[in-house]
Amino acid sequence: MLRKISKGLVTLALMAVSWGYSDATARPLDEIIKSGEIRVGVNPTLPPLGKFNEKNEIIGFDVDVATELAKMLGVKLQVVQVGSPDRIPFVTSGKIDFVMGAMTRNPERAKVIDFTVPVHTEVFGVLTTEGKPFEKVQDLNRPDVTLVQVRGSTPVKYIEDNLKNAKVVLLDNYPDAIRAIAQGRGDAIIDVIDFVGEHMNKHNVKWRVVPTPVDVYYCGLGVAKNSTGLKDWLNVAVFELQRRGKIDELWEKAFGIKMLFPTGMTPYF
Amino acid sequence: MLDYTFQYGQIWPYLPRLIDGAYLALEIAFLSFCGGLLIGTANASLLSFGPKWVAKPIQAFVVFFTNTPQLVQIYFLYFALPDAGVLLSSYAAVLIGMTLNAGAYLTEIQRAGFSTRRQSEMEAAIVLGFSRWQQIRYVILPHIARVLFPPLSNHYIIMTLGTSMAAIFGVEELTGQALNINSITFRSLEIFSVVAGLYIAITLLASLALGLLGSVLFRTKLRVI
Repeated sequence: MLRKISKGLVTLALMAVSWGYSDATARPLDEIIKSGEIRVGVNPTLPPLGKFNEKNEIIGFDVDVATELAKMLGVKLQVVQVGSPDRIPFVTSGKIDFVMGAMTRNPERAKVIDFTVPVHTEVFGVLTTEGKPFEKVQDLNRPDVTLVQVRGSTPVKYIEDNLKNAKVVLLDNYPDAIRAIAQGRGDAIIDVIDFVGEHMNKHNVKWRVVPTPVDVYYCGLGVAKNSTGLKDWLNVAVFELQRRGKIDELWEKAFGIKMLFPTGMTPYF
Repeated sequence: MLDYTFQYGQIWPYLPRLIDGAYLALEIAFLSFCGGLLIGTANASLLSFGPKWVAKPIQAFVVFFTNTPQLVQIYFLYFALPDAGVLLSSYAAVLIGMTLNAGAYLTEIQRAGFSTRRQSEMEAAIVLGFSRWQQIRYVILPHIARVLFPPLSNHYIIMTLGTSMAAIFGVEELTGQALNINSITFRSLEIFSVVAGLYIAITLLASLALGLLGSVLFRTKLRVI
């Protein structure tokens, strides 16, 4: 009797697991259109790209662009919250169809996911507090400097390659990293200054941006590698939004100024 | 069914980092377990033999630390204390948080152990003129060590696995190293299957060591799993 029950439970468990697995691959374009909704991953700790409003919904530049894309495809938009460390596994496992949240395009990530044409650029700078003596990025390359970074973000690789002497503390999200610097646990953070402005304002500390920017990177939409059709469609759709000037318009609405380094637009991709 | 090709070759170069992380996890668990054991024994002794008024603060301590998540406790120590002027490093915050948490759970375990002391032996010790401290050390502890050994070993294993939350505060133990390597290579399935295997290996090692210790010192039966 007990044997029968346990056999039944094992079969049930295996069925449940394999049922779950059928969702573990990226959806092709036809399936997305048929299901009537598209899932986008947005990071709500990166204002003004993504943040929570009073009703606890995610709004911002990313959501605006995704809404336009969903309208063009004729489906409903479903916004899924993601963070820096988990956004790529979400895409590869099919939990979301494409991911935004300043998805910087680099060869390491391109091994695992595919990128569309760039939607916007990001300028990396060094954020530190008043009283610290840094004037350019190379000043940070000393063993008594502690940098606080977010796990899974682009600057971590840059620091590993170019600032080998600095110590790095890795935390899990932007609010925690900014708070750590404000509390004096670290000397500086290398990241996109525009996105952390709202977090900086929460702390009673005098901030200082080091005058020379570090680098410019291009951010596109991230899609899974076997997402037949979706990447090609997104490329055409993003180009259309750029041509109509919609991307610039939404950027100015979210950030208040024009994009510092325009992505440029080519009809071939 | 599963649209994924496993590529373990990409993560073998990072194995030394994972081993370092495993060592750090064991170190944190060991140190906070020792600290927690001291707190637990002291509290249990006070509860059994101390004045009546000391029971209330000890019970408040136990109730607070066993009814809140360890993660929330460490979060408070690491992120909230600096606003009150106390700046703890990541390692210190994790160690103190885990020690206090262990102290609360071990107080309960030790108190249960203390209650199994045999009254006749206690009376004999009092007649022989043992001081309170000598009674605890020579009469109570050797007896309850056999009784307490399984629950204490259990809790040690739980603490070893509980060190995985240290990654959230920047302490690069096993889970932290796994998350970092994941953010470089993105091979989540491979990395976390290796890390799960490593956790099983270190907890089996720990329980084996504890079992040997117990069978040698206290003549408990050796059971590993």
